[in-house]
Amino acid sequence: MTDNFSRRDFLKLAGVGAATSAILTGCGPASRYVKREPYMEMPEYTYNGLSTYYATTCRECAAGCGLVVRTSQGRAIKTEGNANHPLNLGKTCARGQATLHGLYNPDRVTDPIQRKRGNASATAVDWDSATQTVADALKNNKPSEIAFLLGTTSDHLFDLVADLSAQTGINPPVRFGALSMFESRATLAKAAENLFGESGMPFFDLGGAQAVFSFGANFLETWLSPVSYTRGFAGLREALTKKRGTLVQFESRMSSTAGKADEWIPLVPGTEALVALAIGRLALELRGGPLPRAFSDIDPKSAASKSGIKLETLERYAEMFANSAGVLAIPGGAALGQTNGLAVAEAVLTLNAVADNFGKPGGVFFSPLAPNQAMYQRSASVKEMQDFTKKLADGKIKVLFVHGVNPVFELPAALEFKKALEGVEQVISFSTFPDETALESDYVFPDHHSLESWGYQRVATGSNQSALSGSQPVVSPFYNTRATADVLIAAAQLAGGKFAAALPFKDEVEFLQSKIAPLMSQSGGFFSAADLPTFMAYFQQYGGWWQTADSRTVPNTADIFNRSLKAPEAEFAGEGEFFFMPFVSPTLAEAGANKPWLQELPDPTTTVMWNTWVEINPETAHELGLEDDDVVKIISEAGELELPVYRYPAIRPDTIAIPFGQGHTAYGRYAEGRGANPTDLLGGHFNEAGDLAFAGMKVKIEKTGRKQPLSRLESLMGVYGVGLGEEH
Amino acid sequence: MIKRLFDWLRQPLGLIAVGITLLAVFSVAAYGISLTQQAPEQPVQFPHQTHVAFGIQCLYCHPGAAKGPSAGIPAQAKCWACHNQIAKTETSLLLAPLKQAVISGKPLEWVPVAQVPDFVQFNHRAHIAAGQNCENCHGDMSKQNVAENPQVFNMGFCLDCHKQVAGDDHEKLVKLVDCGTCHY
Amino acid sequence: MIRPEEIKMSAEETGKWGMVMDQDICTGCQACVVACAMENNITFVGEEDSGYGRSMHWIRIERFWEGEYPEVKMTPNQPMLCQQCGSATCEPVCPAFATVHSQAEQLNLQVYNRCVGTRYCANNCPYQVRSFNWRDYERPEPLSNQFNPDVTVRRRGVMEKCTFCIQRIHKAQDKAKSEGREVVDGEFTTACAQACPASAITFGRVDDPESLVSQLAKKRGHGIKHLEELGTLPNVTYFKGG
Repeated sequence: MTDNFSRRDFLKLAGVGAATSAILTGCGPASRYVKREPYMEMPEYTYNGLSTYYATTCRECAAGCGLVVRTSQGRAIKTEGNANHPLNLGKTCARGQATLHGLYNPDRVTDPIQRKRGNASATAVDWDSATQTVADALKNNKPSEIAFLLGTTSDHLFDLVADLSAQTGINPPVRFGALSMFESRATLAKAAENLFGESGMPFFDLGGAQAVFSFGANFLETWLSPVSYTRGFAGLREALTKKRGTLVQFESRMSSTAGKADEWIPLVPGTEALVALAIGRLALELRGGPLPRAFSDIDPKSAASKSGIKLETLERYAEMFANSAGVLAIPGGAALGQTNGLAVAEAVLTLNAVADNFGKPGGVFFSPLAPNQAMYQRSASVKEMQDFTKKLADGKIKVLFVHGVNPVFELPAALEFKKALEGVEQVISFSTFPDETALESDYVFPDHHSLESWGYQRVATGSNQSALSGSQPVVSPFYNTRATADVLIAAAQLAGGKFAAALPFKDEVEFLQSKIAPLMSQSGGFFSAADLPTFMAYFQQYGGWWQTADSRTVPNTADIFNRSLKAPEAEFAGEGEFFFMPFVSPTLAEAGANKPWLQELPDPTTTVMWNTWVEINPETAHELGLEDDDVVKIISEAGELELPVYRYPAIRPDTIAIPFGQGHTAYGRYAEGRGANPTDLLGGHFNEAGDLAFAGMKVKIEKTGRKQPLSRLESLMGVYGVGLGEEH
Repeated sequence: MIKRLFDWLRQPLGLIAVGITLLAVFSVAAYGISLTQQAPEQPVQFPHQTHVAFGIQCLYCHPGAAKGPSAGIPAQAKCWACHNQIAKTETSLLLAPLKQAVISGKPLEWVPVAQVPDFVQFNHRAHIAAGQNCENCHGDMSKQNVAENPQVFNMGFCLDCHKQVAGDDHEKLVKLVDCGTCHY
Repeated sequence: MIRPEEIKMSAEETGKWGMVMDQDICTGCQACVVACAMENNITFVGEEDSGYGRSMHWIRIERFWEGEYPEVKMTPNQPMLCQQCGSATCEPVCPAFATVHSQAEQLNLQVYNRCVGTRYCANNCPYQVRSFNWRDYERPEPLSNQFNPDVTVRRRGVMEKCTFCIQRIHKAQDKAKSEGREVVDGEFTTACAQACPASAITFGRVDDPESLVSQLAKKRGHGIKHLEELGTLPNVTYFKGG
């Protein structure tokens, strides 16, 4: 091509060429040779072109929201909330909507496989030999050498393994999930047990409250049951029977929950217990009368100076506690994830006694136990996971079964779970996706995706009613996967003896029915039936079974003021000058990174997509000479991480924050090699309840001199004037 | 270079070359369009004529047309329900693929004949409910063997009918010629 | 050139479908964004292209910062989507008549098969809610199994935007008609409103004074319509609350 041949000429010729080829190919018969395969036999109630809807349960987190999935021609098209379900009343969160990108993820484990650990390539095996492998693992090892590590969903599988363990003497199943680690669930439960003499999951009635004081609980994002707490928040704001309620959030970094708060109080990390006790004391002093023991040791003035909150502010809050009804204090999240976390939880729960809101609208309750549950069960704390990991490392476990959790990714680096697996002879994963733990396993026997599965999930909190949420397959399995419960039942039959006796079922559905059958005789349900098939049909149709009455219970607070409450100083591990604040990405959470639409969701506070960042106060960044997108190295006592800077205007100057959710080294094309994982920085320090003190660390920042542009929805040019030059 | 090309094109030989090229392009295009109007090859050369002659209603095999957007192709179980009682099914060469499909459990792969592009949202139900008969668009099936397309399903064909149906009813006309009625 | 009397005429028009957004309870959780993407076959574009501002969200949650630490505040989350203007600025600039006003539903339509990709409409939209398919973005198999059959899958070079879930409007109208009745308020809603855990989004008939949207708009008073001063006659009302 010569210089004479201008761009315009080229476009002309190209245009003619394109038009010609469009005529030749576009209208040709090739484009209409679509093939259509009719059903061999049309399923009942299905018509071509019309959708069929199935009720099931979301498994993107452990909350147990009810879904109704729209299917068309055997494909799942859209997840919608189950309007009948007492937990979510027809609503869903972003992760629940994106569960379809898990079902139709291009990187699922399609067949049972065997691999050399750590090796991406694997050889497919058939299900018969897979079942035989599981049977041999059960039969040929001592019961004490067999362990199950399960995720927080689904409860039916946990029950099945718990039954197996109870009758055969194998180790009781251990459950874990990164969300419960960042929620500090164990701390909350322990504090409730200490204060009320009863273990259970507290329920905070946001909807009825007039003022809410949240100490680190990010209940609008991932905490416990975000959909139901979001509904509660809406009630706080606009219930027509009362004034618009206020929300005050104490935390060192403005989360998107704090972004909705009327007042965000960036207190010094670790001083939450002091603040709660000071507010309580000031409120009681305002009311007059003798000070109870719980609040007698605290000095509000020193609490104010230590926490960096003005005394007047504390007095203002105290007045609200002293004089108005419907004031609620919630402990959660990072406030509990510190070495003094249990004291924080106890202090904040006791603050509710000052407001005298227990069992009242806008107050604290105990969440009802689920219908087929005898007592509250929580997932393992990280301390318990450390003990478990140690057992693995010491070679005390010969076979480890892993389902529904990705400990290699989720556990703090300091626990060295991946290394501990070397002490286990045989690791069998039931993962649906090729995650990091599946990669470190000898076998992966993939479970169905949750939308292809049977099961049930207990609603642990968030609903007034006692509820069991039911799952059923909404589509037939897309790949050569098999329900883990079916595999275990079949393997137990093969293994014979006590194993066969422990699981005397034909398949998963029969097991499920045996667990659901007792509900038929329970009263107060919103449906009942005389025979099991009818009951099961209703159970599937409505997406579970729940009681119609409010079955929350009121905690016993008779003794609450008589305990001596201490506010020990929080200890921070490491030498850096910055408090470290990992938080769960509200859009990705623990397992969302492989779903492309969740990746493309802008983070609610920063609008960053597809990556991880470190949030630094703009002033601090300026002092350090850091700009947006400068890559820095964060060094903690447990490890180091490189990631780009986001200058975040709403974080303490002495704190940096990193979202958890990215940084996968496996887990499919959308997750792998993207961003960084803050658990790589986490050490092994705990609070008194055994929860990880993930917010109890200090870190150092080093410049690297590199830049890595972050994709943001928010325009840097439009909003910050970046790149506009001098004239903006 | 372009200038030289245009100079050459102005000569008689060039003009003839252009003419031949254009002719070739258009004839190939015409052939392509004519191909789209021919019935494609089907796994079973299904004789609609014969079935209609037995008095089977369209909606018996394509019930979706009265209920929703898609008329649908009948499930093989529906074909087999009648055909396994007909002795000829055993021997007929024409029916061998059906028999094979039922035995192997692999569905037949039909090629849809009456199609609209992806950007058109067509709903059979509304048309049947409005009193349109199947043959208005699909032709008289009692005279066809393998289904053919009696006309091009282009926008003109749709709109002609829509306008005619609306007649003087302005509100109806607005609805029936609205872009958003079919394109979204 | 638009004559003044024409402006007056369009200003008297009432819309048909509308939304009410309660910014005071919107938590910015992004459930609406995914619900919309799943309902409307919206593609994801990947990290690089989203960095160029090419992500295809039909609805986005805006938040701004006010003040400086420690007095910094996040402004109430603002779900921004096509306002389905009664007098839309995108419509008159389309040379291909791909962006047209639906007379039947009073919505701004985007007719994909007419769109030639000039992007004039997006440049002329004061709300910046139109997104353009810069590429044929790959959705590897079997992700396509999730596609909603009621919505066209767009390809490269085509502009797209929120349709107020017109496929749901049609479905509800079709169902009502088959049962010989009118569409009832609340019988259906858009994907975003359906998902919203806080129920911050309400959708319905603004020309029906009895509908929930009209009632909400009346009850809360002092709602605002964004950039109303441009004469666009938007059909989405925002309540900041507080």
